[in-house]
Amino acid sequence: MFDRVCTRRIAGEREESGEMASELPVLRDEQGRALSAGSDTDYGLRTTDYEAQRPDWGRDLPFLGPGQVGVLAGDAGLGMTRLGLVLLSDHARAGPVAYLDVRGWLSPLAAWEVGIEPDRLVIARCRDVIRWGKAVASLLDGAAAVLAEVPTGAKDASIRKLAALARNRGTPLLLRPLDRAVPTGVAHLTLEARETSWSGAVDGHGRIERRRTLLMASGKAMRGMTRTIEMEDDGSNTLRVVSGVAAAETRSVAG
Amino acid sequence: MRRGEAEGICPQVVTVERDHSAEMVAFEGVVTAIEDLIPNVEVVEPGLVFVPVAGAVGYYGGEGPLIERVVKEIDRVAGAGFRIGVAEGPFAAKQASINATGDPPMLLVEDDEAFLASLDISTVGREELVSTFQWLGITTLGELARLPGGTIASRFGAAGLDAHRRASGRDRDLNPRDLPIDLTVSERFSPPLEDLEQAAFVARAMAGRLVEALASFGAAPFRIVVEAEAADGTVRSRTWLSADPLDDRAIADRVRWQLRAWVDGVGAGIRGGLVALRIEPANLSGAGRQLALGEDARAAAETVRAFTETQAILGRDELLQAHPQGGREYGDRVAWHRWGEPPVSRRDPDAPWPGRIPGPSPALVPPAPQPFHIEWDGGMPTRVRLGSRWVTVRSWAGPWRRVGRWWKGEEPGDQYQIVTSAGAFLCEIRGGATWLTGIYD
Repeated sequence: MFDRVCTRRIAGEREESGEMASELPVLRDEQGRALSAGSDTDYGLRTTDYEAQRPDWGRDLPFLGPGQVGVLAGDAGLGMTRLGLVLLSDHARAGPVAYLDVRGWLSPLAAWEVGIEPDRLVIARCRDVIRWGKAVASLLDGAAAVLAEVPTGAKDASIRKLAALARNRGTPLLLRPLDRAVPTGVAHLTLEARETSWSGAVDGHGRIERRRTLLMASGKAMRGMTRTIEMEDDGSNTLRVVSGVAAAETRSVAG
Repeated sequence: MRRGEAEGICPQVVTVERDHSAEMVAFEGVVTAIEDLIPNVEVVEPGLVFVPVAGAVGYYGGEGPLIERVVKEIDRVAGAGFRIGVAEGPFAAKQASINATGDPPMLLVEDDEAFLASLDISTVGREELVSTFQWLGITTLGELARLPGGTIASRFGAAGLDAHRRASGRDRDLNPRDLPIDLTVSERFSPPLEDLEQAAFVARAMAGRLVEALASFGAAPFRIVVEAEAADGTVRSRTWLSADPLDDRAIADRVRWQLRAWVDGVGAGIRGGLVALRIEPANLSGAGRQLALGEDARAAAETVRAFTETQAILGRDELLQAHPQGGREYGDRVAWHRWGEPPVSRRDPDAPWPGRIPGPSPALVPPAPQPFHIEWDGGMPTRVRLGSRWVTVRSWAGPWRRVGRWWKGEEPGDQYQIVTSAGAFLCEIRGGATWLTGIYD
């Protein structure tokens, strides 16, 4: 179903490897050894038994384990809904996944395109902030994973409670804030879209075919680093990470 | 007819939620009247009861006098509008009542198999199999009954075997299992419960316990006996029957309907409050409870429970699932239905739909087109307005002409894909205005 290829890059080096090798860069470690997608050396999320069950279409695509909370930030149009659906599809094999749609705009076609079976996707619609929290809490009890849009006016305390509940239940929770920031300390992984570009459409000719999105990934899942990830999406259940670490922001302790 | 189909034919149709409890309150008088004449009445749903008459026929001196008494009693309690069918098995009896004629409508079937043989295959009640049977040339129940049961079972599984059993008039022979221990669940309340909702809440928990206990034996009840004890010592009991194994939700529903019928319907009610509630499973069978390899029954039950709770929080129309269907517009390609209800697809998704925009699909499609502002220069879009800011158009594709349903007064429109630094948008220019119809988020 999934047709993803993953390579990583450090310091801009390139090497031919695999079927996409002529186009895509390859990750090398500090000693200059090339790392395969399934290498034990993991620059991203820690490998768990649960993660090991994931289809082998690359590990540079961030993955949420049981009870982990992810945040998808960025304006509408930058591709975060689709990325959220891809992350949700990881868990759709284990059971039905839920999308809490505050805007009422989600098109299930996009979910089916990324590989979520129609029977495995449940969409809850809720605009009311009070019921939103209760609905997410009850979905966490039964769904294999939940992607919830965060409405305007949702309180920090309520988001923290939901994050705690997700950890307690062992259900991955993805939050997609619409126009507010998620309180600090909640997210295990934050993915923020910076820019996107489309190819295929030129001055009235063709049609949009392929999107490249630049993401900033941060949080505990990134081991404290902020990583830049560039992703490519052609809509036919293919979402490829075309480069891994472009640059890691330096963090220092002042004292 | 499904709701979606009905709304497709008549968009002005008003949907009224079915209130089983209120129906049961109205029906309770009929059940009580029949129960006064014949014991062991089994309620299937409000409006349908099965009554085993083998013993009563001897007591009243034949089927004729018995039915005469029943007709008289129902007529006294509920007036005209009822139908009666008499047969060996419940399925044949129900079909007899549907096909009954006369005043009052009534049909006594002498030979179940002969009566059922001429009925259309669609009456078998297994919607998922009917079209396959018809495609195979099996158009009547008789043709299905003549096929070997073993062959049907190997080809269609448990559902096929059930259909074959009904078509043959042998739906009573379920070979109920005996369990070595009594799995009846009961609760005593002190002080007595006076609120119906409290009792229904307790019943839900009891139903969950009952189903969980039965699941450990791989069994499920086709019949339950609900027994309520009032504070004045009165004990009331009613048997509920189902064609399919009852799950915890179905059991809880039936207990709630029955309690409300006892409280609001005819009779003494539950005087002084409810001091004890008992649910006894009967007619146990493993049918429908055989788990598939790798199926996690506990997780599945937990999922159903959680989604039911979400549905209660948000409303039934706010927890949805969707299935693909044919259509040109992105919105048309999605057939929505409530969670827990079977999908309804009105158009073939595999049929050619010339003129539809190929993928990738926009992840966000507004339920109704939204106003969108585009600045044009020499027939080419140059800027779009997103909120309060203007964003430069990087590239664009289109227009694709959409003729629309002109016979319904729809105007033609031109669809464009507009690409900006803030993302790509699908929009339509129609009637001189520009509308946003999708965001490639």
